[in-house]
Amino acid sequence: MISDTHIGRTYPPTVPYVVSAAKVAEFATALGDGANPAYAGPDAVAPPTFAVVLSSAAWAAMFDDAELDLSLSRTVHTDQRFAWQRPLRVGDEVTATLSIEKVRVRGTSAFITISVALDASGDRLCDATSTLLHTWPAKDLA
Amino acid sequence: MTTTSGNESPSVHPAAEVGDVLPGFSTHVTRATLVHYAGASADFNPIHWSDRAARDLGLPGVIAHGMLTMGTALRVVTDWCGDPARVLSYYVRFTKPVTVDDTDEGATVTFAGTIIKVADGVATVSIEALFNDTKVLGAATAEVRL
Repeated sequence: MISDTHIGRTYPPTVPYVVSAAKVAEFATALGDGANPAYAGPDAVAPPTFAVVLSSAAWAAMFDDAELDLSLSRTVHTDQRFAWQRPLRVGDEVTATLSIEKVRVRGTSAFITISVALDASGDRLCDATSTLLHTWPAKDLA
Repeated sequence: MTTTSGNESPSVHPAAEVGDVLPGFSTHVTRATLVHYAGASADFNPIHWSDRAARDLGLPGVIAHGMLTMGTALRVVTDWCGDPARVLSYYVRFTKPVTVDDTDEGATVTFAGTIIKVADGVATVSIEALFNDTKVLGAATAEVRL
């Protein structure tokens, strides 16, 4: 089970993800912002919160870590921060690297703060920090 | 998703003062909106499309993705400044779920913003998101380069 001994644990980067014009357009449209010219054309940037597509892909490594005993389906996202060095752009080949920053276990619940670094060609694009509330079924802890 | 206002043509706002109120807008979030966002974001958590899965977690029914609300709310800022590349940081707490009934109208969420700080060429915008007169985002703030 996850505990404060796991603070600082970092997982290998995700397989590189290439940001495509089609995915940027699809994401902008899903936010009701498909007509925004910033998200189209040769100089297109991605909507800022597109970063979550990359950062959440890195969550799998933590949920697959059997030692932590976590399940995505028992997890609630309680807060989210993004800090961008520059916008994500079409053509960026992005990796996401997850680190466990904080763990606070209380009874059958844990507040877990994770930080995901998004990098392209060695440059930091964005740091995405999330607090997750995980709850174990009470019977598992009996 | 239908939008009743917002998404005006881009323009630059080099002048920003504390207390300035940014144009807001409302959206109707329907089950179709959620399906579309699930595909676009690759977030296929069943609580966003299955009433059965949502109720198993103690929710009244299907809820919107928090990140959909977070992403939509930022349009208050990007519509105002005209350039999403100016957004430096963005934080929200997910305080209340947006439940989305399987109706044509879905859930109506209303967004607004106010400039709360201007310093060193950066404006900090406080964003409000209301659903059924209740705030669904807490402490939502974005920093924008002027």
